[in-house]
Amino acid sequence: MSEVQHGFFRHGDNAYLANFTEAEREVLLNLAEQIIELLAERVDHHSDDPLAAMVGITVHDTPPEDEVLLRLLPNAYADQVDASEFRRYTESTLRQKKQAHAMAMRMHIKAAVDGVIELDHDSANAWLGAMNDVRLALGVRLKVEENTHQELELLAPDDPMRGVYAVYSWLGWLQESLIDALMDESQ
Amino acid sequence: MGKIKEKIGVSEKIEEELKAIFSGDIPWVTIVWDDPVNLMTYVTYVLMELFGYNKEKAHELMMKVHTEGKAVVSTGSREEMEHDVARLHEYGLWATLQRGDQAL
Repeated sequence: MSEVQHGFFRHGDNAYLANFTEAEREVLLNLAEQIIELLAERVDHHSDDPLAAMVGITVHDTPPEDEVLLRLLPNAYADQVDASEFRRYTESTLRQKKQAHAMAMRMHIKAAVDGVIELDHDSANAWLGAMNDVRLALGVRLKVEENTHQELELLAPDDPMRGVYAVYSWLGWLQESLIDALMDESQ
Repeated sequence: MGKIKEKIGVSEKIEEELKAIFSGDIPWVTIVWDDPVNLMTYVTYVLMELFGYNKEKAHELMMKVHTEGKAVVSTGSREEMEHDVARLHEYGLWATLQRGDQAL
């Protein structure tokens, strides 16, 4: 395998490959696991009604207080009453779907042979969703809303956010390579 | 409704509105909002995947989100729009729904 990093590339009709170093796989695995944990149902969110819990209805309908969770589980309505009602019936399902994307990512990394990840169209979509959730979470911590990319590029070497920004940028590049491979109509 | 209309002066417009409320055919819209994290190519790709839009249409909508801060990406019943918003949230796009006759 070449040392040159290509990110994902298309192989045949329905295969998308990437070759990761052990360090890269560790980073990806770690991020996937953090997202899975972050999206786990809050303890105080379990309903006392087992039937309601079974169909995914939660008692709490307020938006998450954590800024990162709020970005991952945003309000569906500007109106607070409608937003609460929608959240009560859907937040649990959304958490599970996002967790499923991150779990698919974890599974593929763990199953990689010689560092090669092979995805089909559906699992590529799961990876895109999971990588995007990680970037959204890191974006909140990096305050991407307020800081320009130039400012983030110029973080001091000892600033812990410098490493976070490096991961954020790398994931963006990786995500872009997978999208390019998926949208490549030449093959 | 003729006599009532004369008595209380219900305008044609209000009558239409009432009709739409009871028949449930007021269109709702799904709006995608600009976000500094989501890649432009990713937004385009998600719109193609979820709505079956071709590349040109998806790109056009993405550019509208990017330059104007928001764009209506789908129209339909409230239930359909709730479904669309849930799918967009699943893929991390910042989306809301509202009645189509409300100001964006």
